Amino acid sequence: MIGSVRDVSRKYRWQFSGMVAWVIQRVTGLLLLVYLLLHVRTVSKLSEGPEAFDAAIATFRSPLFRLLEIGLLATVILHALNGIRITLIDLGVGGDRQRHLFWALAIGVGAIVFLAGAIPMFLFGIVRG
Amino acid sequence: MQLNITVRLARYPHAPGRRFSEFRVGLEERMTVLDALFRVQREMDSSIGFRCSCRVGMCGTCAVLVNRVPRLACATRVAALKADVVTIEPLPRYPIVKDLAVSLAPFFEQWRRTLPAFRPKDPDSPVPARIPATSPFGRLAASKRDCITCGACYTACSITGTNTGYLGPAAINRAFLRLLDPRDAAGDDRLRVLDAEPSGVWRCHTQFNCAAVCPRGIDLTDSIGRIKRALLRPRRAFKE
Repeated sequence: MIGSVRDVSRKYRWQFSGMVAWVIQRVTGLLLLVYLLLHVRTVSKLSEGPEAFDAAIATFRSPLFRLLEIGLLATVILHALNGIRITLIDLGVGGDRQRHLFWALAIGVGAIVFLAGAIPMFLFGIVRG
Repeated sequence: MQLNITVRLARYPHAPGRRFSEFRVGLEERMTVLDALFRVQREMDSSIGFRCSCRVGMCGTCAVLVNRVPRLACATRVAALKADVVTIEPLPRYPIVKDLAVSLAPFFEQWRRTLPAFRPKDPDSPVPARIPATSPFGRLAASKRDCITCGACYTACSITGTNTGYLGPAAINRAFLRLLDPRDAAGDDRLRVLDAEPSGVWRCHTQFNCAAVCPRGIDLTDSIGRIKRALLRPRRAFKE
């Protein structure tokens, strides 16, 4: 079992990283769609009056939703940076370096931006929240 | 001490409930997957079926799925797989003839659609065409013309799995080579095939699987991308 996981990881880490990037783009796209629907539903509560909107917003102040917010940040960053990578490749820039672009731009830069946002969100939103 | 590996061979037609046959093979230095197949055939089971021809990675005949990745059996060293069990299966998406041997009919059906043969503008010209090394054909042809039609890219492409009408990376790359060629006269006909929906270049999702498995190292996704840009900007076609 561990051996096969190691084999798959080795295979997809570099040789098929283009496929990994494609899957990540689709999954994060679907997650953002779910978020968008939730967002529209929350904003639509305004039509029911201030109390209904405040009640909806109060739900998002729970620690679970604060954690999900950090997950949302990761999803947005991955989708955006991977989208920039795909756009560059479609424009004919960096196609021969697509693996490097994925790991350096989408994952590397993405991890730095994520940590810069996630640490304050965690400290001030959950620990001291 | 000689190391042994287990070779798992897919069998077709297979007995009920038994899709694979397993063999223990002694690992030798520089042994390729094709060597292992010959060892099994000569010493253990002469009934196994596989295809090969040149044995030096030039003909593309021996392409099989090795540990779930399309590879040339003759160009894949067993030791490089770093696995105790080597599973060898026929290439997916193709009709199986026997065991590991497949028919590349679906591949060549698409290949033919792109009008792969050279169609000269002036077939009777006594003067040889002069192609500057700095022209797009001069610059790009060397990296695109080594296709050995092994069919690995067609298998690795996820689009061919869901859209049997899709041209596939190798056929598109071949058309790209012809489009680059300043002596060729069938450019418009080829572009019509490449631009068609749902079988043309627009189906490509830029996953790079074709380029990842090409045994000749051809960047097939790049060829597809260049055709897409040429279709969007016909006046600047292949100028970059």
